[in-house]
Amino acid sequence: MTSIVSMIVFVLGFIVLGVNLKEVQIDESAGYNYANARQSVRRVQTAAPRGCIYDRNGTLLAGNRKSIGIVLSTTPFQKRTWEATQAEIIAAIDRTGKIVGLENPLSDKAVRRHIRQKLSMPLLVWRDIDEKALARFCEHEQELEGFSLAETEERVYPQGRLASHLIGYVGRAEGDLNAGDVKFNFSDREMRGRSGVEHYYDSFLRGVSGEKNLIVDARGFTQSESTIKVARRGLDLTLNLDAKVQRAVEQELKGCIGACVVMDPRNGEVLAFASAPDYDINEFVPILKSELYDSLAGDRRKPLLNRASGGAYAPGSTFKPITALAGLSMGIPAEAELECIGVYEVGTMKLHCARTWGHGIENLKTALRDSCNPYFCNLGMEAGTNALITTARTMGLGAKTGIDFGVDMAGVVPDDEWKRKQYGQKWYQGDLAQMSIGQSMLLVSPLQMARVAGALGTGYLVTPRIKAGEPVSRTKLPFPAKDLAKVREGMELVVSSGSGKAGGEGVGVKVAGKTGTAEVGKGDTRRKNTWFIAYAPAENPTVAVAMVVEYGVSGGSTTAPKVGAVLRSIFNG
Amino acid sequence: MVRYFKNFNYLMFASMLALIAIGTVAIWSAGNARSEAVFHGMWKQTLATAMLGLVVYLALSIADYRKILEYGSVAAYGTALVLLVAVLAFGAKIYGGRRWLWFFQPSELSKLCIIMFVANFGRRFREFGFLGFVLTGIAVGVPLLLILAEPDLGTALTLVPAVLIMMFSLRIWRKGLFVILAVIALCGSAVMAAVYEAEKPGVTEERRAAILKWVPLKAHQVKRVKVFLFPEEDILGAGYNLRQAKISIGSGGFSGKGIGKGETNHLKYLPQAISMNDFIFCVYAEETGFIGSLALLALFGMLVVPGAWTAFTSNDERGEALALGVSMLVFAHVYVNIAMSIGLVPITGLPLPFISSGRTFLLTVMAALGMVQSVATHREVGK
Repeated sequence: MTSIVSMIVFVLGFIVLGVNLKEVQIDESAGYNYANARQSVRRVQTAAPRGCIYDRNGTLLAGNRKSIGIVLSTTPFQKRTWEATQAEIIAAIDRTGKIVGLENPLSDKAVRRHIRQKLSMPLLVWRDIDEKALARFCEHEQELEGFSLAETEERVYPQGRLASHLIGYVGRAEGDLNAGDVKFNFSDREMRGRSGVEHYYDSFLRGVSGEKNLIVDARGFTQSESTIKVARRGLDLTLNLDAKVQRAVEQELKGCIGACVVMDPRNGEVLAFASAPDYDINEFVPILKSELYDSLAGDRRKPLLNRASGGAYAPGSTFKPITALAGLSMGIPAEAELECIGVYEVGTMKLHCARTWGHGIENLKTALRDSCNPYFCNLGMEAGTNALITTARTMGLGAKTGIDFGVDMAGVVPDDEWKRKQYGQKWYQGDLAQMSIGQSMLLVSPLQMARVAGALGTGYLVTPRIKAGEPVSRTKLPFPAKDLAKVREGMELVVSSGSGKAGGEGVGVKVAGKTGTAEVGKGDTRRKNTWFIAYAPAENPTVAVAMVVEYGVSGGSTTAPKVGAVLRSIFNG
Repeated sequence: MVRYFKNFNYLMFASMLALIAIGTVAIWSAGNARSEAVFHGMWKQTLATAMLGLVVYLALSIADYRKILEYGSVAAYGTALVLLVAVLAFGAKIYGGRRWLWFFQPSELSKLCIIMFVANFGRRFREFGFLGFVLTGIAVGVPLLLILAEPDLGTALTLVPAVLIMMFSLRIWRKGLFVILAVIALCGSAVMAAVYEAEKPGVTEERRAAILKWVPLKAHQVKRVKVFLFPEEDILGAGYNLRQAKISIGSGGFSGKGIGKGETNHLKYLPQAISMNDFIFCVYAEETGFIGSLALLALFGMLVVPGAWTAFTSNDERGEALALGVSMLVFAHVYVNIAMSIGLVPITGLPLPFISSGRTFLLTVMAALGMVQSVATHREVGK
């Protein structure tokens, strides 16, 4: 009897266990599988190689180079306590360092941080090792358990300092591990554009990061790994930039503080885009060291400032063609004359001419050629504030150019409302006179002025384009062709017989241009920013240039020769 | 001799061999997952012990169990008492308990000794009625208290059903036994309820202490009951073992991850200190899945049900009690071990027969089953 009961108890007992096991192993299995994966799988975002940047002729401006580093896998150094594990790892790094001939670059703190936070990831000990260290490592690889070579891609700029402000630089991505719908535990921090084209076209260049899973044990040491998704390389980018022109421009700006933009006025293609002083972007790779950054940021000459599209300058006399257009549009004939006596008076204010004894009788063309201040002050006064402001804005000043680039300074075309807001003062006639000769509170960038030069030459205001193959966007200027022709004649005279002769010397095609010398600052910081804007060939412009050089002597003597050299390299090169 | 082969319970023997084979593989897998090299070869030692056990098993199955009980039970009982005292005095202290004497665990061995003693003397105790019950209680109680002192609650707990079923079979004060069963059930429920009251969320520290003062459990035992009652709480602390055990078993799924491929085991999430012993079912269930679990249950069924059948077909009271006691002992181990791994009962340190790596217990169980086989082979046919 007891035996029968026992048998029933046994069978029932096992049935109870079977039913409960079914619940755990079948019904709830998915949940436990998930829990198992969650505790033992670490998802890692793997970096995608970045796309390259080329100029219009296929010259490589930004590429990638293979960089060999030595990494340490923590797993073989596992000890019972974390302290012992840390000591073991540091000892192993020292040992390996002696063999390959490299110092241990990591502080004990850095090792401890890695153990605490990223134990399952390999620890990058030496990045970017040289060939000697690599050879030593390969020779002794058998003895160096736990160490292996890791190949990464680092950004490289084969042209060195060329177009550094345009190309920009990259930095390591920071902490957006959980962007998107996938949650990652770790990330091979990939390169992100921090400025310039690298920044503006970052999503284009970046590629699609991959994914791998690390299987970690209960303490967090990696036991195995598997690739889930292979990283996809970013797209290559071709710029409108012409490295040859860029090089010529930078040659001319060497040692100066200034900027220059060269573009094709027909379609807005930016051929050169330079700001001086510059810096070598290769020094920003693989990481921008804080000492370097501090020395650049602390430099009084502000090398980090992109003056080409972000520098705010008074245009000086290069504004005069715009004043001329404003006068013509108000019906003041080009033949209208004024006698220049070297000074122009507005109320109590006296505006002097460059030629202190005066130019004598001037008309529009000769006034442009001579850059006569009294003539244009008078012309601006007669045209009126509204006409001048409207014309300046029609030429794209006071607004962003729409360039495909991060730095696109709008500048200032002042008016009554703006002046009241900024200075709490109303708009005086003196302001109008000052603005007529490009002074007052006008602020423009070299990019804007290159656009103005091109528009004067072609009759179309184009949107500058950095990336090749972008659709052309341009608007026709609302001025009669004969008005534009008058201004062009004046600008041709500037180069053929006026203040900007050096701008056209030896170019081989007819050049039209305008010099400018803007006095800025007071006291010790008083200086001249010297301009030259030009387009060529004058009959059918294919090149528009604007260059500014700070601390120059005059537009004609400082800047025009540099622009002339650039134009020679384009048309005679 | 013909009778021996005719009466030999081949099903019981075959299932035991299969369980030894499974156990060897499970210990191989659990041992390989451990960092210490000494455990990698553990399966060989276990297999060697099983070979020795097989010799003991066959020898005991051939020998007449009645003679063994008659001449051996007092000696066995006495030896057990001496060893249990010795282990308390000289045993090595491991994990807060004294269970090891040199290379073996006396408490495991004593299980068989106590069963032998009760099987042999139960008949005589019966004649005293209630006093017989008391005498049995004392005979079992003394070694049981010594075992509890180690402390080895699990061993003590599995002995209780084994002894009770023998007392039923031997008809020692039967009506009182029902009372005992009721009292055990009541006490168990009361302890559970008290721990629940003390540990449920929102109870103040004073009230908790006041309630637990009346609960006759040690702190770590209270913790285990708490984990049983609130398994989701504190899964990184006290509840970690149970949580990981369930992840191992549950993630095995229907067909398992393959022999030697258990992830939680090899990645050491499953507590390493007990993965080869108390939690070896997790290692096995993760690698073989629900199919493997069912197969294991079936094999244990083919071991203990024929054991009870042997008792049923035996025409000797001592043989019946012995077979039932041993079968119940094995069943209690299997049930409690697997049930605790999936949170059906509180966690108790208890090996899974044949699968866990404890060698004293393996030998003990094989010797006990050898004696059950002896009951089968020595039954009087035709009576």
